[in-house]
Amino acid sequence: MPSSERAGGWRAALRAIVGALLLLGAAAAFAHKASDSYLQITASPGRVDVRWDIALRDLDVALDLDGDADGKLTWGEVRAAWPRIESYALQRLAIEGCPLAATGRGLERRNDGAYAVLQLTSPCTLPTPPRIAYGLFADVDPTHRGIAKVQRDGAAVELSVLEPSAAMVAGGTAARVASGAGAASSSPAASAAAVGARPGAVARWEFFVEGIRHIVTGYDHVLFLISLLLPAVMRRTPAGRVPVERLSAAVWPVAGIVTAFTVAHSMTLGLAALKLVSLTPAFIEPAIAATIVLAALDNVLPIFPVRRVVVAFFFGLVHGFGFASVLAELELPRADFAWALLQFNLGIEAGQLAIVLVATTVLFTLRRWPGYARVVIGGGSAVAIAIGALWFIERTANVSILPF
Amino acid sequence: MRLPRAPIGLVCATALAALVTASASATPITPSRDDEVIEVLPATSSGRSEDRQLRRRLAERPGDARLAAAVAERYLAQARESGDPRFAGLALAALAAWPDPVKAPNEILLLRATLEQYLHEFDAAVAHLRILLARPGGDGNPQAWLTLATVLRVQGRYADSDAACHRIGVGVYASACLAENAALRGETAAARRSLQELLADARLPPQTRGWLLTSLAELEERDGRAAAADAAYRSVLRLGRDTYAAIAYADFLIAQKRPAEALAVLKDEARTDTVLLRLAIAATRANAPSGERDVAEMRERIALANERPEASVFHGREQAMFALAIDRDAERALALARGDVARQREPLDLLVFAEAARASGRRDAIDEARRLKSSLGLHDRRIDAVL
Repeated sequence: MPSSERAGGWRAALRAIVGALLLLGAAAAFAHKASDSYLQITASPGRVDVRWDIALRDLDVALDLDGDADGKLTWGEVRAAWPRIESYALQRLAIEGCPLAATGRGLERRNDGAYAVLQLTSPCTLPTPPRIAYGLFADVDPTHRGIAKVQRDGAAVELSVLEPSAAMVAGGTAARVASGAGAASSSPAASAAAVGARPGAVARWEFFVEGIRHIVTGYDHVLFLISLLLPAVMRRTPAGRVPVERLSAAVWPVAGIVTAFTVAHSMTLGLAALKLVSLTPAFIEPAIAATIVLAALDNVLPIFPVRRVVVAFFFGLVHGFGFASVLAELELPRADFAWALLQFNLGIEAGQLAIVLVATTVLFTLRRWPGYARVVIGGGSAVAIAIGALWFIERTANVSILPF
Repeated sequence: MRLPRAPIGLVCATALAALVTASASATPITPSRDDEVIEVLPATSSGRSEDRQLRRRLAERPGDARLAAAVAERYLAQARESGDPRFAGLALAALAAWPDPVKAPNEILLLRATLEQYLHEFDAAVAHLRILLARPGGDGNPQAWLTLATVLRVQGRYADSDAACHRIGVGVYASACLAENAALRGETAAARRSLQELLADARLPPQTRGWLLTSLAELEERDGRAAAADAAYRSVLRLGRDTYAAIAYADFLIAQKRPAEALAVLKDEARTDTVLLRLAIAATRANAPSGERDVAEMRERIALANERPEASVFHGREQAMFALAIDRDAERALALARGDVARQREPLDLLVFAEAARASGRRDAIDEARRLKSSLGLHDRRIDAVL
């Protein structure tokens, strides 16, 4: 695409974004509607998923989310309060026969403000009609309603309006249960779902899975590792780079680099998780992008006067802080903190090992190709430099350029 | 960690979709920093920490009637000021310790009825006021009688309203209460004289003066005397901010084909649903640039509100006005207006019903509007002109 066209496209895109933000801002500041929460209940045989959107301003009345009472809810305040939000909400919703557990979280903007999004799930088959006991904000705003949309496999959406019942909050024994048809009757409600941040998550090795997920989908860490590995299947000679003869000659430098990277990021991850050291993501995120640029640059134009193992170590320290900020968002259980941290770290190492094995195998196979030095090392590093530089710009200027 | 970023194309598409359709869809928020502000809470007139303190004290002593009344009054004032119905819900919650109206203390019962009036639950408000006023010693409560007279007037029960006005006692409130009913019935000259006499008292507090002047303006408007109505409305607005009067004046100006002036009258008002509706209509009529945006926003608010099935009943008047003036959907406007006049029968409700009936061209609907007007005994030349 010609650059002028691209620039024009950018301006148009920016205008569209700014326009949409203005629109959303104006709507959010002035919308006047009663308090509603939105429940999207998706039922298939043996499984019920609930997506529950609750307005932050309503939650603030019940839970004082605005820690410093300055009238502004920051991401930090909301994140810190999330376990309380989950526990408050889960005590106030029960679907008969379907004990609910929280599986995910998010935030979204609606016409009348920002909403917390709770993802809940239950391994059950939704009864017909569904019997839902609802008690959200019964103690705070009796005019509040839950707007529930129930979608069953292949059936039309059923809509029902749930009226909060104080009985639900008190003990959950005589809660008002609204059927799908909107009729209300008294019946023993299903007991409220488990309270707290994802009970049993540690036992289910969820944090190990999170660790793997983060390294595999954390393209910046992968790109950094690969940048370091690109020249590992060659050795420098006075005549330039030549391919190594045996696999063992490649394995040792690779093992050294990976070990140094692992030791370093485990150290900073541990320090940050224990809250002994803390660095703002505003610094860490661009710094991670910079490590990619520098590591890739070093492949084509040696800039570090030290061995790559040392480079891997120092840059690994930076990446560890990056892992730590994910960990903070996962809200590790306090009771099993050390065990959860270890799971997360082991997950990262397992994912990393898989990536290194694949990358090394591919690179080792390609090493005798005459174009390896020029195309793989040179071209690959150039691509890494470009992506790293764009990430650096994105993360410092807070704009979105790359689609990943 | 790097938070997921939406591809630029998707962002643009979403933004454009939001611009074009103003859809009610939700967009994900992906904060990148702890200090990023996600939500700005509505301003409180009296301070957030004080609100919180009061709430906590009430949570400790939920049966403390004076404390509960203080909290409820605060929220009610905030609801009126901002037009935000959530505050009325918070106020009701403060009174939750007295679910049985028979056992509720007088001040709690009066507040509850006032909140029900605000929420357009007129039958409930009347029932609760009747319980209060039937109590020994409860009938000496002028505020309760005044509220009852007002609710009955809104329901179009002028004779019952008169009876309540008489019980307020002597003084400006009783006289104004009676004059307002007289004006609605068409005893225009007497009502005008009564209001003007009351206004001659230089010691009137500005709020009372504003109320009397607004009654006078509405009287003149219904009597077809546009110049006098205009002057009275202007006098109210000179006294200071008065949202009710600003909206009534805007309706008058729109009806007088002076939409640009209506926009000017409303420009400093908070964009509550009732204000936004008038902005949308006036801007459309005046071909003002803000029209498209305000129409889209109003449409979205209606769609959102209607996710609750009862919403089109509570906001029937506004929704009927929107259907009639913006969408020119006479059938829908007629259905909405018919639902509205079943509960609420202020002159504007009947006017909207009559206009919708006329626009639909249906004889039976026009007759229905005529019958309703004469059964109330309402005098309103604007409605006569439509029917």
